[in-house]
Amino acid sequence: MIQASGLTKAYHTKNSDVVAVDDARIEVKSGEFVLILGRSGSGKSTLLGMLAGLIRPSSGEISVEGLDITTLPEDKIAELRARKIGFVFQFSGLIPTITALENVMLPMLFCSGGPGCRTRAVDLLKKVGMSDRADAYPRTLSSGEMKRVAIARALLNEPSLLIADEPTGDLDVDTELEIMELFRQLNHEGTTIVMVTHNPELVPYATRTYGMNRGKLVENTNSADMCIGTYGSTRT
Amino acid sequence: MKQDMSYLKFIVSSLRNKPGRNLATVFCFAFIALNIFSGQILMAGAQGGVSRGISRMGADQIVVPAQYLVFLRGSSQNTTMTIVRAESSTFRINLSIMDTVGKVTGVSQMSPQLYVTTLNQPGLSPAPVDIFGIDPVTDFTIQPWLRQPLDEPLDPGEVMVGSGIVGDTGSKLSLFGHSYTVAGKLDPTQSSADHTIFLRLDDAYTLAAEKVVVPPSAPRITPGDVNALLIRDAPGEDSVAVFSRIRRSLSSSYPPSYVSVIGRNFALDPVSENIQDVPDILNSISAFVVIASLPLIALIAAMVTHERQREIGLLMSMGAKRNVIFFLVMAESLVLAAIGGIAGVGAGLGAFYLLNMQGALSGALQVTFAMPSVTEIGRIAGMALLVVIFMGSISSFWPAYRSSTMNPYDAIRSEAR
Repeated sequence: MIQASGLTKAYHTKNSDVVAVDDARIEVKSGEFVLILGRSGSGKSTLLGMLAGLIRPSSGEISVEGLDITTLPEDKIAELRARKIGFVFQFSGLIPTITALENVMLPMLFCSGGPGCRTRAVDLLKKVGMSDRADAYPRTLSSGEMKRVAIARALLNEPSLLIADEPTGDLDVDTELEIMELFRQLNHEGTTIVMVTHNPELVPYATRTYGMNRGKLVENTNSADMCIGTYGSTRT
Repeated sequence: MKQDMSYLKFIVSSLRNKPGRNLATVFCFAFIALNIFSGQILMAGAQGGVSRGISRMGADQIVVPAQYLVFLRGSSQNTTMTIVRAESSTFRINLSIMDTVGKVTGVSQMSPQLYVTTLNQPGLSPAPVDIFGIDPVTDFTIQPWLRQPLDEPLDPGEVMVGSGIVGDTGSKLSLFGHSYTVAGKLDPTQSSADHTIFLRLDDAYTLAAEKVVVPPSAPRITPGDVNALLIRDAPGEDSVAVFSRIRRSLSSSYPPSYVSVIGRNFALDPVSENIQDVPDILNSISAFVVIASLPLIALIAAMVTHERQREIGLLMSMGAKRNVIFFLVMAESLVLAAIGGIAGVGAGLGAFYLLNMQGALSGALQVTFAMPSVTEIGRIAGMALLVVIFMGSISSFWPAYRSSTMNPYDAIRSEAR
């Protein structure tokens, strides 16, 4: 599904160059649940941005479903995102002036969802346990409910890849568990998931893990490293 | 939720975000539209008023019975006044005089008028009411004063009434047992025409045949009798030269004791000059408002898009292409411009009708304000709308371009919201 190698992203500042991601190599197979663990500022979100075509790498190659996205024009990458990739962020990112159901249907603007789009949106809200709040506006939803709606939105165009950037970062433990169960369920149903987090407690949900520290990506990090906080920090 | 998601729905819903600022933007656009619309309507109305004034200037020459001229000199009447209606005298000439006058070079229009009688009928008017016969086909002095032009020439049994006569268009009035329908009412002329009922000449002859209509002391009115022949010069003709030609022509055909001609000099120039500078002034004001508002609206548009960076980044993450982002930002601005434009034009239209109804516009302009036609109002409203929509496009172009070229990930991670 995703193959990336030699992936580097350097930012040039006034006084120095900052290498956010340094020569990363990652492979995600279809149906996997890959967790990238790392502390804040380790470069994991930048890596995720590059994998999704939101950030152009300084060097390296990224192939998503056989397409080299480093050479694709912006509009083609946008098309790829619309059809193949769903995003969930730490913030809910719901549009406050439309209902939960309308938020879920939003991606259809950018990728013709067909006549069954609304039905699918309703089904997705049901799937994430939000069918009874379909007509609610985001301001009336709790953080967990907003996150569920955001997940439903990410799934509208039936993406083969779900990318999640710290999706449980601002949630309490109970809600975090609910969301992770939802991710696990989606993964069991065939959705490939790549997720970054700083919370090593989420490792058991993943089928494979990477650790990231100061721009360096390491595969199959052992659980001891996780727990002592090399790549993440547990909730206090 | 009944409908699927659409761009329009998304745009309209986005406008509900930050309603205060959007309202301020709409207000800006409305003010600009109002300014442009008002200026143009004011100009069109004032120019229309002058045009109508020209058409209401009445006759340039008037052929009257010679005895009437003697009477006129004796009464020291002002002959430079607008000649809309002949005087109510019992001196008459015959219609056949039109054959002579019609051959005079420089005469473009002529229309006869017949004074029938004067009524004291408080039910019709507090002032004495004159009854006149006119030829509705050739008339060029009375009908320009009609509030609403007649759909077709005056039919038998129909009359036009001065502004001082009770009754509106469509109402009935009775004169000496004859019933008439009011087909048109005149605007105030500030002359004796305000208290006059105008019949067709043939109706006037029929009415005059009633014994009680013409006082026994006055000569009877017979078909073909008229009191005056009102004449309009051909455009560009020297009025004095036409006057001399008519006089020469009449003196060669009729004895001097029978008929005479009165010329009239009127000056339109002072009125024209008064409003000549108005368009330039109004256009300058409109241009200033447009230029002064543009940076303000552009700043608001830039602020809005800056605050919505994260939302724009999110849309990009969902697959929105750059041109879609550009379109969405532009469309929001254009919707605001359209709403503001319609509101401004609507407010302007309402204000104009209100002020015009109270006569405030004519008073302020010092010229008669003629509300432009619906077509003209539509044209001006369309122009005002186009200007604000163009302004909306200009002011939001840069913010839209900036938004569409933003790095999506930077936008998503921005903490502006």
